[in-house]
Amino acid sequence: MDELDLLKKDWKAQSENRTLSAKDIYPMLHRKSSSIVKILFYISIAELVFWILINTIPFFSSQAYKNKLDRIYENDMIFMSITYLSYVIILFFIYLLFKAYKAISVTDSAKQLMQNILKTRRIIKYYVLFNLVIAGVSIIIALCCSIANDPETAALFNSFSPKETSIAIGIAVSFTAVFILIIWLFYRLIYGILLKRLNRNYKALEDMEA
Amino acid sequence: MTLLNPELEHGFVKLLEKHQNIIHKVCRLYTNSYDAHNDLFQEITIQLWKAYPKFRGEAKFSTWMYRVALNTAITLYRKSKRRVPTQDFEGVAFKMKAESYDDTEDQRVKGLYKAIHQLNDIEKALIFLYLEDKDHKEISETLGISEVNSRVKMNRIKTKLRNILNS
Repeated sequence: MDELDLLKKDWKAQSENRTLSAKDIYPMLHRKSSSIVKILFYISIAELVFWILINTIPFFSSQAYKNKLDRIYENDMIFMSITYLSYVIILFFIYLLFKAYKAISVTDSAKQLMQNILKTRRIIKYYVLFNLVIAGVSIIIALCCSIANDPETAALFNSFSPKETSIAIGIAVSFTAVFILIIWLFYRLIYGILLKRLNRNYKALEDMEA
Repeated sequence: MTLLNPELEHGFVKLLEKHQNIIHKVCRLYTNSYDAHNDLFQEITIQLWKAYPKFRGEAKFSTWMYRVALNTAITLYRKSKRRVPTQDFEGVAFKMKAESYDDTEDQRVKGLYKAIHQLNDIEKALIFLYLEDKDHKEISETLGISEVNSRVKMNRIKTKLRNILNS
């Protein structure tokens, strides 16, 4: 008899000595799960809320600030289109996320389950990426509009020499880039930690098929 | 919805009570401590319960359980700070204690566990299903790989295990 078959016999003979009673099991049903899907779900909700709030900040600012914004971005269709476009896209992402979460089932095969979770994570990634791009574009457009329409900023820029102007623009663009990069790295870190084990196991399964 | 159905709950608890050894074995494979074992047991129970309304009985409860338990251990489980109230695990019938976590098994099973703990998560799942007498069809369906690859990989893991056990 093969050594592993012997072990199999041992394996089967063991572990009769630990049993939970029904009384022990009942309360366990009502405790909260701490699975990565649940955490992923909370993160995606937080992302949605965060970026929606960012988009709606101007609506809650003071009237004076609103008037100033109106003056600066007078007749500016670009911002309006970006805002409406982002609402449509956010709705689309909510739909995609909802569909992705519905597809995650613990009774699927291990590989299918992992694929569905990774797919959900990708949707969140694209959502964040989309928001970062919108944020970047908005900051640059805002800067251009300020220079063109805001008397204070315009005066400031007029007092600059061409060299100073390019330095100022360079600094603004760099700050925007660094800001976006930091947020991006932050997300990479969160998901990196959260999904480390899943990624490793998914790779192990993939390698098996190679 | 499921929370308000005592009959469903009762049926589930009875089945779980009967087949709980499957979960304990998975927990022993994937955790190294008493607390982690309890925590994973708790998570698997939650996942089973959440999925139970969709369990139609076309699959054997135990077969269905293997899949959910392994999926939870391999994919969903994350060490939590949740404290599983220890009284759940300190019933008279539950003899496993922290200090004697390994002592109740004989030497050979101990050696086997030690060897299996050196495998990666997926290899553990394969060898676990083998030890539970599952055929390659079920193994490949549980993991989502082809039957051929399941066979090839299984042979490699067996060799690896023998080497660990003999070294």
